[in-house]
Amino acid sequence: MPNTSTQPEYIVEMRHITKRFPGIIANDDVTIQIRKGEIYALLGENGAGKSTLMSMLFGMYEPDEGEIYIRGKKEKITSPSYASSLNIGMVHQHFKLVSNYTIAQNIILGAEPKKKFLGMIPVVDEAKAEKDIAEISRQYGLEVDPTKIIEDVNVSTRQRVEILKMLYRNAEILIFDEPTAVLTPQEIDALLDIIRALRDGGKTIILITHKLEEIRKVADRCAILRRGKLIDVRDVPGMDAKQMAALMVGHEVQLTAEKSEAHMGAPVLEVEHLVVENEDKFDVVRDVSFTIHEGEIFSIAGVSGNGQTEIADAVAGLLRAKSGKIKLKGKDITDLDVRRRTLAGISYIPEDRQQVGLVLDFSLRDNLALKDYFKEPFKKSSILQQKVFEQNSEKLIERYDIRSASRGDTVVRSMSGGNQQKAIIGREIEQNADLCIFVQPTRGLDIGAIENIHKQIIAERDKGKAVLLVSLELDEVTELSDTIAVIYDGQIGKIAPAGEYTNAMLGEYMMGVAGTKQSEEAKHA
Amino acid sequence: MHDAKLYRRIAVIAVLLSLVAGAFVLLLLGRNPLMSYYNILQGSGLAPKAKYAAGKAMFTDLASLIDYWTPMIFAALACAVAMKTGLFNIGISGQMLTAGFIATITVGYSSLAPAAAKPLVIIIGMVTGMAVGALIGFLKFKFNINEVVSSIMINYIAEYVISFFIQTRFIDPLSRQSRTVSSAARLTLTDVLIAGYKFNIPLAFGLAIIAAFAVKIVLDRTVLGYELKAVGSNRTAAGYAGIRVGRSMVISMAISGALAGLAGVSYYLGYFASIQPKTLVSTGFDSIAVCLLGNSDPIGILFASFLIQVIGKGSTYMSSQQSVESEIVSVITGLILLFSACSVFFMGIVAARRKRSDAGTSDKAQA
Repeated sequence: MPNTSTQPEYIVEMRHITKRFPGIIANDDVTIQIRKGEIYALLGENGAGKSTLMSMLFGMYEPDEGEIYIRGKKEKITSPSYASSLNIGMVHQHFKLVSNYTIAQNIILGAEPKKKFLGMIPVVDEAKAEKDIAEISRQYGLEVDPTKIIEDVNVSTRQRVEILKMLYRNAEILIFDEPTAVLTPQEIDALLDIIRALRDGGKTIILITHKLEEIRKVADRCAILRRGKLIDVRDVPGMDAKQMAALMVGHEVQLTAEKSEAHMGAPVLEVEHLVVENEDKFDVVRDVSFTIHEGEIFSIAGVSGNGQTEIADAVAGLLRAKSGKIKLKGKDITDLDVRRRTLAGISYIPEDRQQVGLVLDFSLRDNLALKDYFKEPFKKSSILQQKVFEQNSEKLIERYDIRSASRGDTVVRSMSGGNQQKAIIGREIEQNADLCIFVQPTRGLDIGAIENIHKQIIAERDKGKAVLLVSLELDEVTELSDTIAVIYDGQIGKIAPAGEYTNAMLGEYMMGVAGTKQSEEAKHA
Repeated sequence: MHDAKLYRRIAVIAVLLSLVAGAFVLLLLGRNPLMSYYNILQGSGLAPKAKYAAGKAMFTDLASLIDYWTPMIFAALACAVAMKTGLFNIGISGQMLTAGFIATITVGYSSLAPAAAKPLVIIIGMVTGMAVGALIGFLKFKFNINEVVSSIMINYIAEYVISFFIQTRFIDPLSRQSRTVSSAARLTLTDVLIAGYKFNIPLAFGLAIIAAFAVKIVLDRTVLGYELKAVGSNRTAAGYAGIRVGRSMVISMAISGALAGLAGVSYYLGYFASIQPKTLVSTGFDSIAVCLLGNSDPIGILFASFLIQVIGKGSTYMSSQQSVESEIVSVITGLILLFSACSVFFMGIVAARRKRSDAGTSDKAQA
């Protein structure tokens, strides 16, 4: 791409950036130019090189080739603190907060306002900090209570704290890395409002995302990356979602999953009056009953934190049921441990792929055998059969297109999120279990991977498996489900065939407005 | 694996650095470091001394080194097994002492024939160590008591309770130690005459080498090893995979304790033949550094423990030859252990660097 001479209208210019990692070119001659005061989106699949590109702007890596200009001046950004001094701020996908500090303490950390106690001993001026924070909050509509402890506040508030942290340091260029991956639909709308307010306040926003919807809602311009290369830069108004998706994945994609009629058979999972309590002895699942049949995709829809993941954990055996019964194919499994339930025919794709679904320091080969290593032929009289491990790993890598630097030998920690998820899904589907539990199977993934996973979920159903799907993405729920249960505050408000719901109805049940009695306030309002 | 190769290089560099640092200390004292290090080799039987006492030769020293090396192999293996399961067994010394004491009073003072006494010592040592280790694991599993705290406490309990019994019942009034165990029960054959020279032959040495390979096979090749490593690496994921995490921790501590027990009997009824009251042997603590220097790998541990014991053994001779105070020798040994512990730190730095560059395709650099 030919590059223009330095124009002061661009606040950020990254020219001919190339970054190589062992085995992979993360960025290949990428040139982007960002104007002051615009919302500039970086769109691409996982592993397309969006985050790498921004990590270089934020000083976490240095480019192998190419130059970075900030406000028309060539800069060598060697560290995040140097980036900070150039008024660049970044909200990472995984928040970097001290969980037992207050919001105010987190915001000022590293940039504390100081005053002299008794005229000589420097102390942190917390009063001033709180005043400053309150002012910034008001300016951009980022309401937080600065005295609250981080671990007591929800995810969207934590994200606001991250944003305030940047603003407190006078950031002018704000980078958001997949900011909506962890948010509920309502929270997403609120965040997009904040992003707009920030732009209107004169900030320049760079939004890394793979969600077309968000780009269409807020972005002014959008750069599309595919496999490390810049494909195109487009003005967002006037672009349609299909076009963008096609550019992003390189082929036309279908935005609605194609699925045939369900052919339901005998009941597979029967949950009766299930009650589950959390660590604080508080009932998070309250008297929940439902049945899932062969060849049925049963979804639990709801705003996050209403007990849906606990239901999945209780069915898989990771959490104990306080009372109630769980039956698999008519057999009571309530008192079985995880291993016995796996053997009885449950596979489980957990919500947290890094902490639960994988042993990150194990090789891909060992991770792909995590549910099989104790069975023949993976072991013979308690000796592991490396050959079988290797065959299994090669088979799954091919079949599920798991990409990694050195195939089975790759340490899973070094793989991208999308490929980690592919590994889990491949492993669990190969279990050939009667019941597959998918919790947030496509969270944080790009559209190509989502499409693929949706196809696999439907394929499982068509094989006659029972599928329990827990998802916060309403589109996913409505597209895939045969039956939808809506959960609010630990109770299921309604169970009905997917066709009977309208989106508005789903929303009402999710917010507890309809169905259940306790509907004073939505948890995540 | 690539990481193992890298680690080996780092470990070698750490050892070389520590020798350089030791050389500085010796230079400051006006001693010749090369000569001093050569004295260490002489003292440990790896190089010939100028002259030997009657009935002694280089191989006598070497046999004695192996005798001294044996308990360290067991102890460092004990540390490694726990470490792989994510547990820190700092109670190896206490487990060694308990095992050594129980074996001493049951078999060591009996009049059993060697053929019965020696295997019995080994079995009792193992079982006792295993029981103490399993107790620590059980406390962790059942009551969530941190294993570091409970093993340190058990160290103290063992030290003082055993000291009480030694002082009141088993004391040798001359040596102020427990009475020497019978030679029938002792795991080291002392003053064996071969070709006119006397040797101390450690019977447990073969067992230690076998144990190292056995631990390696268990960790790398078996279902149990896979489970222990999964628990050590990520307890939540291990639980998700259906591994019984608590059980794995108890088993790991039991194996670790059994190895510590073997270290105990090969020390208190082998290299040494009595117990000093109110003292925990440093072997149990040094084994942690040895384990780290060996990257918690059984074969690495064989090399690391050999190196550390050569220095430990040869330093006495060096101190007499170079007329350096024995405290200075301890300083040099300490430096080596310090640098070896640092090798883990260097490894961490290199790994973090690599992870950052590996994370190219990953959107999250590190947790």
